[in-house]
Amino acid sequence: MSAVPQYITRSSVSDTAEYFRYPDEVREQFIATDDIEFRDGSRVTSLEVWDYLTQVGPVKYPNLYDNSSLYTGRLSHDVTFAFNLKNAYLSMTMHERMTKAKAQGRPIVFVQGGQSVDPYYAAGAVALRPASTGSWARGQREGLTRNQDELESRSDKQKAYNAISFEVCNSAGYEHIQEGNVPADMVAPYTALRCSDVSYGTEAHRHGPRAKEVKLLLVDYPLDHQRDKEWAIRYFADNLHRLTRSIDEQTGRKTTDDDLAREIKLHNEGRRLAIEIADLWWSADLAPTNGRDRRSLFLLGGMETHGDPVASLSLLREARRDIEKRVRQGHRTEGVLDNAARLFVCGSCVFPNDLRTEEAGGIIVGNDNHWSDITTLVNEDGDPYYELARAVLSYPYEQPLKERAGWTVDQIRKSRTDGVLFLYKWGCNTQSAIARLLVDEIKAQTGIPTIIIEDDMTRTQTEQLQNRVNSFIEMVS
Amino acid sequence: MALNALELIYKRLRERPQELVEARANGAKVVGFQAYNLPEEVIYALGLIPVRLGSGGDGDLVEVGGRYISTKNCVYVRSTVGLFAENTDPYIVNSDIVAFDATCLQTFRTAEVVQYYFNREVIILGVPRNFYLQEAHTYFAAELRHFVSRLEAISGVTLTRERLADSIALYNGIRDAIVRIYPYQATKNPAISWEQVFDVIQAGYVLDRREYLGLLESLLAELVQQRGAPVIGGEDDEARIFISGSTIPPGDKKLISIMQELGGRIVGDDLWSGLIPYVDVQIEDATLEALASAYLNRTPHGALPYLELATDRRIKRLKELITTFKANGVIYHTLRYCDPYTFKAKETKDILEKEGIPLLELHTEYAGSDFEAIRTRVEAFVEMVKLRAESEEAA
Ligand code: SF4
Ligand code: SF4
Repeated sequence: MSAVPQYITRSSVSDTAEYFRYPDEVREQFIATDDIEFRDGSRVTSLEVWDYLTQVGPVKYPNLYDNSSLYTGRLSHDVTFAFNLKNAYLSMTMHERMTKAKAQGRPIVFVQGGQSVDPYYAAGAVALRPASTGSWARGQREGLTRNQDELESRSDKQKAYNAISFEVCNSAGYEHIQEGNVPADMVAPYTALRCSDVSYGTEAHRHGPRAKEVKLLLVDYPLDHQRDKEWAIRYFADNLHRLTRSIDEQTGRKTTDDDLAREIKLHNEGRRLAIEIADLWWSADLAPTNGRDRRSLFLLGGMETHGDPVASLSLLREARRDIEKRVRQGHRTEGVLDNAARLFVCGSCVFPNDLRTEEAGGIIVGNDNHWSDITTLVNEDGDPYYELARAVLSYPYEQPLKERAGWTVDQIRKSRTDGVLFLYKWGCNTQSAIARLLVDEIKAQTGIPTIIIEDDMTRTQTEQLQNRVNSFIEMVS
Repeated sequence: MALNALELIYKRLRERPQELVEARANGAKVVGFQAYNLPEEVIYALGLIPVRLGSGGDGDLVEVGGRYISTKNCVYVRSTVGLFAENTDPYIVNSDIVAFDATCLQTFRTAEVVQYYFNREVIILGVPRNFYLQEAHTYFAAELRHFVSRLEAISGVTLTRERLADSIALYNGIRDAIVRIYPYQATKNPAISWEQVFDVIQAGYVLDRREYLGLLESLLAELVQQRGAPVIGGEDDEARIFISGSTIPPGDKKLISIMQELGGRIVGDDLWSGLIPYVDVQIEDATLEALASAYLNRTPHGALPYLELATDRRIKRLKELITTFKANGVIYHTLRYCDPYTFKAKETKDILEKEGIPLLELHTEYAGSDFEAIRTRVEAFVEMVKLRAESEEAA
């Protein structure tokens, strides 16, 4: 058995889990990095982040510090990458920060992942996707071990199964919002796009215990060559207007075109930074970060992870500089082989365990979901509603098969991918339906090996999923 | 007493495949379609032959389809993909163009799969999810116009107001006849059973629509002659079952035969393969805008979410139909992975329970493996409904 690094501890004799600690040696370097700025004008210094991560976090959320390699959410060990620590800080403080935003009168709106959130913030709301909603709810439970936390989460989900159906995958946050753990004011995702379940999950809120308090709205995403249809763009723009009007009813203010135009600029900056970071990351001979940090970093460009686009931007700006430096210096990332098999993940909402993937000699270098929206910039001239609608209807992930495949192949080439995984969850109908189609087309265009893997919904079979990923790595290596 | 028109419908169904082959040999074009909100009127108006595609009940077809689309898709769409893969079904073989709509996202995906793997010319009609909004009607009218322009290019015919008006009149006649025939199956000692009416409705998926209207009118005339006006009702202790939920396409006889075997009587449905598409259709004018609005104003399909329970027309219509057909129990049939209806099962059950109407959810697929399990559950349910009916009568 390998020696346990000095920053790994055990919290008590009865607790067999190993816990991660941020090592003191990196403290000085870290506290010299940038502050995080927030939307309400407040900031936290790196020193405050450090203190939180080393003193508050381990007590409040021991589950998050669980150091098992079987834990998909394990904190990244790349402790010299400032982004990584700040990103962890923002995740851990979700509950406090969102409670504060709510107290400041900002409506909390449930949205779906992989969609732009510009109009929600333009109207003064906070947009939370399913994972962020879950992280807010979980943040209220302190002192749990990972097993306890996972049990609680499973029992939360069970509430949605009971109230809706056991085939529910995306319950639109029903188990948190209707149970009152997350005081959302609205459930207002874009429909259809990407997910088969979110519209039905939204509808289910109409019979929940908080049905009268929570406003429901669907921003209707038209399908089939929508990008090329003027009437589809106008329809979606009308839906966006309806959304901001609806949030205005909660805030009592009026969202102007200028508000939206300003917000689009801000979110475009996030999207641009993420694209630049991706180009840098992919251009490097050696992976400049581990797979987990890469994913969080790219994802942040969507400005939807932490409920605060300004905070996301401040992390992205700093990370852009750091990645550039790492690439220039030929940084070697701990745990990642120099010749790791480069994998690209297609499909929705399932990810292999990055750490175990790296242990097996691979690294995940890209994904299509939660990326196609980020790579789509919004034109900043003209009617902002129309331009936003035009951009959203152009998401490559939502285009007819050949176009979606064409864009995916582009990403695969840029990221110098060796193998493609298409993953989907058990209850996911729309993505699973075209899994074979997409991989067949990718194979036809690139000749790269592909594999389709289905994950179970409760994540009780992650070992099986990982085994298949690992054999795939062996095959493509 | 036998119904001659009914016999004739069955006979014409057997003859229809050959007829289509001949029609195509003479230059006619067939539009095969699978959709929930596609105004067939426009296909017919352009001189094209509309044929509704799809069948159920065949586990092998589901297997074959599952090789192209995922096993996490409902068996109906898997089976549809299987039909294209096998390419032996006469309606699939004889479809020159294939059309789908985007009411259900799984149908939308089916269109992509069919286009990619089976090299078919596919047209898709976009359908708005916020169907109750004015802007959704505008969008849908534009989609329909786009759809028609593609059909015009294929048929070489321009859709004029007269052509559309004629077609709308024909389809109004069909809808009206179905709505008038339907109650006869729910009467005491009926001259026609629900199962037969169901067959009659589904015969209209493929028969020539003008001939079909004639057949419906003959059938109605016979029913009127034999029974006069329909008086809905039955024996006092009867289990009168209403069927709701996912589609039951031609060929899917599992639930129907179990019901027949157990002596439970189906007296009504709000299925999209049954009565529901034919009620509430009010086309105000012979224009595509009016047609689009009329389709969106129907009782909504389960795949179109509606966010306010109190004003949901699907629930309202369900309750009305249960009352009209004097049903005393509901079987809510959901196909595995049919999210549009599965997600609503619990809610529908709770609502009907408050009204004192028991509901049994049957979650099934086309494989025969759950036949016994379903039989046992249906048997217990039918028995319970009968007992309730008896005790209500005694009280
Ligand atoms: S896995 Fe599929 S159904 Fe589930 S949330 Fe993701 S996109 Fe939606
Ligand atoms: S509504 Fe249900 S049965 Fe119909 S295609 Fe969709 S998933 Fe299948």
